[in-house]
Amino acid sequence: MATAALEFLPAPLRSFRLKTKQQELLLRVSTLALIYVLAFIVRLFSVLRYESMIHEFDPYFNYRTTLFLTENGYSEFWNWFDFESWYPLGRVVGGTLFPGLMVTAALLYRFLRALSFAVHIREVCVLTAPFFAANTTLVAYAFGREIWDSGAGIVAAALIAICPGYISRSVAGSYDNEGVAIFALLLTFYLFVRAVNTGSLAWSLASAFGYFYMVSAWGGYVFIINLLPLYVLVLLVTGRYSMRLYVAYNCMYVLGMLLAMQIRFVGFQHVQSGEHMAAMGVFFLLQVFFFLDWVKYMLNDARLFKSFLRITLTCAITVGTLALVVGTASGYISPWTGRFYSLLDPTYAKDHIPIIASVSEHQPTAWSSFMFDFQILLFLFPAGLYFCFKRLSDATIFIVMYGLTSMYFAGVMVRLILVAAPAVCLISAIAASATIKNLTTLIRTKSKSPQASSGKTTGSKAAAKGAVDQSLPFQHNAAIALLLGAFYLLSRYAIHCTWVTSEAYSSPSIVLAARGHNGGRVIFDDYREAYYWLRQNTPPDAKIMSWWDYGYQITAMGNRTVIVDNNTWNNTHIATVGRAMSSYEDEAYEIMQSLDVNYVLVVFGGVTGYSSDDINKFLWMVRIGGGVFPVIKEPDYLVNGEYRVDKGAAPKMLNCLMYKLCYYRFGELTTEYGKPPGYDRVRGVEIGNKDIKLEYLEEAFTTSNWIVRIYKVKPPKNRS
Amino acid sequence: MAPAPARHLLLLLPLLLAAAPAGADDLVAELQSLRARSPSGVIHLTDTSVTRFLSAPASRRPYSVLLFFDAAALHSKPDLHLPQLRTEFALLAASFHDRNPGSGDLFFADIEFAESQHSFHQFGVNSLPHVRLIRPEHSTLAGSEQMDQSHFGRLADSMAEFVESRTGLEVGPIVRPPLLSRNQIILLGILFLISIPFAIKRVIEGETLLHDRRVWMAGALFVYFFSVSGGMYGIIRHTPMFLTDRSDPDKLVFFYQGSGMQLGAEGFAVGFLYTLVGLMIAGVTHLLVKVESLQTQRFAMMAVIAIGWWAVRKVIFLDNWKTGYSIHTFWPSSWRIWNHPH
Repeated sequence: MATAALEFLPAPLRSFRLKTKQQELLLRVSTLALIYVLAFIVRLFSVLRYESMIHEFDPYFNYRTTLFLTENGYSEFWNWFDFESWYPLGRVVGGTLFPGLMVTAALLYRFLRALSFAVHIREVCVLTAPFFAANTTLVAYAFGREIWDSGAGIVAAALIAICPGYISRSVAGSYDNEGVAIFALLLTFYLFVRAVNTGSLAWSLASAFGYFYMVSAWGGYVFIINLLPLYVLVLLVTGRYSMRLYVAYNCMYVLGMLLAMQIRFVGFQHVQSGEHMAAMGVFFLLQVFFFLDWVKYMLNDARLFKSFLRITLTCAITVGTLALVVGTASGYISPWTGRFYSLLDPTYAKDHIPIIASVSEHQPTAWSSFMFDFQILLFLFPAGLYFCFKRLSDATIFIVMYGLTSMYFAGVMVRLILVAAPAVCLISAIAASATIKNLTTLIRTKSKSPQASSGKTTGSKAAAKGAVDQSLPFQHNAAIALLLGAFYLLSRYAIHCTWVTSEAYSSPSIVLAARGHNGGRVIFDDYREAYYWLRQNTPPDAKIMSWWDYGYQITAMGNRTVIVDNNTWNNTHIATVGRAMSSYEDEAYEIMQSLDVNYVLVVFGGVTGYSSDDINKFLWMVRIGGGVFPVIKEPDYLVNGEYRVDKGAAPKMLNCLMYKLCYYRFGELTTEYGKPPGYDRVRGVEIGNKDIKLEYLEEAFTTSNWIVRIYKVKPPKNRS
Repeated sequence: MAPAPARHLLLLLPLLLAAAPAGADDLVAELQSLRARSPSGVIHLTDTSVTRFLSAPASRRPYSVLLFFDAAALHSKPDLHLPQLRTEFALLAASFHDRNPGSGDLFFADIEFAESQHSFHQFGVNSLPHVRLIRPEHSTLAGSEQMDQSHFGRLADSMAEFVESRTGLEVGPIVRPPLLSRNQIILLGILFLISIPFAIKRVIEGETLLHDRRVWMAGALFVYFFSVSGGMYGIIRHTPMFLTDRSDPDKLVFFYQGSGMQLGAEGFAVGFLYTLVGLMIAGVTHLLVKVESLQTQRFAMMAVIAIGWWAVRKVIFLDNWKTGYSIHTFWPSSWRIWNHPH
């Protein structure tokens, strides 16, 4: 066959033949290259549909700090005290962030500049996440090859390249820690598994550096430092302790710890906080194990060793427990943080920490979100689990544990689907690859002699059925049917992913798009309009009060000082803002005076139907405010437990600052044909208080679609 | 339950009532002593005591009473949750008394339908569950305030909110009795400590359940099933397994349309389909080949193809229906002629 195709080629090329192995290599490399490119370009939908810009909220802070880093250099960045946020407290930026992302982007920028590409730092930031997502596919390939075979590696790379669960956090413009962190996470895991498989110091050293990069990039590193000890523990319990494991874990833990402590935000937490104690405990346990092994080897007497074992184990457990108890009691070991605790006891955050529960990405995951983010991978996952259990090795145990723990966490919080995505892709890839491989071998046995094929895939259908001649025709058909089914599923996956990426995950959420009544696209660019207005029309030292969601954007785009922002480190300060927003105007005025507020910014969707506006977030302001200041009570804003803004609303609701600022002059406006003026298109009601008078504030600016409204706080009246 | 011993004491009540009319302080003192005798702090009222404590003019009634309407005959009806609410009510009373010991401002009381039908009539109560707050300023019994259905929703916690917002008194955190008593915990702890050496021995010998691969796999599959079916969502949000249709109470709603929310049953149904298809894929390649009979193999193969096809289509259809997205292919724009319009 091959010779016939080559006949029209010129003679030198015709003599250029590849051996089967080389052909396979060529195929594999070119497939990987295509996957690499695919992973990058599928994430560019957001640039095509909107423009090259930074998305959402947190990325604006990252962008601002990156800008600072490239302009002022690393030591300035390290020592940066930011007085523009958290007024009047300020924020020690250098010590309270994970610098990995910014440093990465700055290095990429320098590198491109050195190659004399005249890029703007913003473009580098916008494309950082897709670039790292593409790199992740390579790691996924290597990882898949490590735990199964190179076929599974390629399938894993292809699956993760377009997996919506991962794309949601890594489209162009979503310049957030997770963008590089998933790459670092998978890399660390890969290197560690590789180290466990080979027992080589070099690989475990590499995984320690991978861990260092992960720690520098994202707070999610806590997942690694708890999963690895858990994995080691499971291996110990199931009797899979080996020297390879000992070398890999010790080197990785000691070096990784020392390196991680260099990140200022982590520092001594790594040896002091309760979240890291599991890793340290397992570290000591391994030493005990090794010691016992050594003693067993030296003693050479079973009875003696048994009594020795008993004594050592009792001592070790007692000492460990005592150390933990004393450490916790003396305050040397800090207890678990709320975020960590809420993962283990999922109902904890809902009852105790409203500031965590209020964030939409911290909500528990419904099945439809899983379906949306993984689609057919969910069908393949149990099959993959089964395959892994059938071929248990140190590596498959790891991937199973990674898959299950991350799946559990993904069920607790929507955003952690991201962490589960690589594991789900890998395990599903095992299922897909192994099944397809089995089926194709089956089909190929038809053309060759039945016995010849069964060599490679042990346990496959072909091997078992090779001897039975009559069954072949039927099997052949069934295999083709199954194969077609598999390809149908995979192509559905590709279609699903493309659609989801382009329609659901590429929106920057700072520029909003909606369908107009004639089917065309309408763009609302009100946020930037408002922020540029602030930048141009307010004094440079003006202080802006808004709900914390918009803090990063105001400082980054408006270049003005804010009271609170998305780094929710000070609950009291946020509660103060929540209290001001939910008080009557005169009470709020006193609070605003005490915080030197000059402008108040609210987000309002009643005109456009934009549903994540401040009125819908308002109950959280009340809850968070009421959590610190008991004068604010949630029932005051509700009528029979119902949240309303129309005539039947609670009187306190109708007259609080947030209501007044959102609905000021709204009573005069007709938003929808056939509806009375003052018809709120988000809540679907006519508002209850149309005659709003402001005494201490005045309207300064309202954007063209009313999405952002800015009010100026009047100076105090003259004393007379 | 708690009121049983109190009931005996209340037989004495008519004797006490003979001393009427009493002053405001006497009434408070009397209520306090009644409360002290009830283990949970919930006073059991009857027709006579209602007249005495609640129908008195406001000047002699400086206290509020939160009254729980109970009916022993309806305890067996599961959809009313009366016993559960009654327990929660007792918890609320106990928590309030922990916070405000010896308080004379608010009393918790219950009343039973079979023995006090007249009072039920006076309050105008004709459906249960029913909780009323009688404050000093309420002049008639029927004029007192009924606790809204929504305040039963989160049990004692939401009832506490109601009390706090209406009376201005602080209930404080609801003190729930721990699941295990102290002695039980100590006993379990001792058992655990004793079992440690045995466990270690077995682990070293390698013959525990932990060494059985199938146990691990079953556990793994369960974790997977639980996560993807949104089980955690149900736990955190306390969503029910299904709803009853508003327009037709006999009809049950298992599937909720809208991506932000799910019911328990729908999640588990979909999770089951995922697991089913996954295990079938695994089974075809690993188990089916070991089956001797060709006929069985063929039949199983066909069944797997058919069921797999059906399950996948079903899930995709459900997802599209639930989220309202219609996922479609993007064809090259030059092909528009054939693929347009939708």
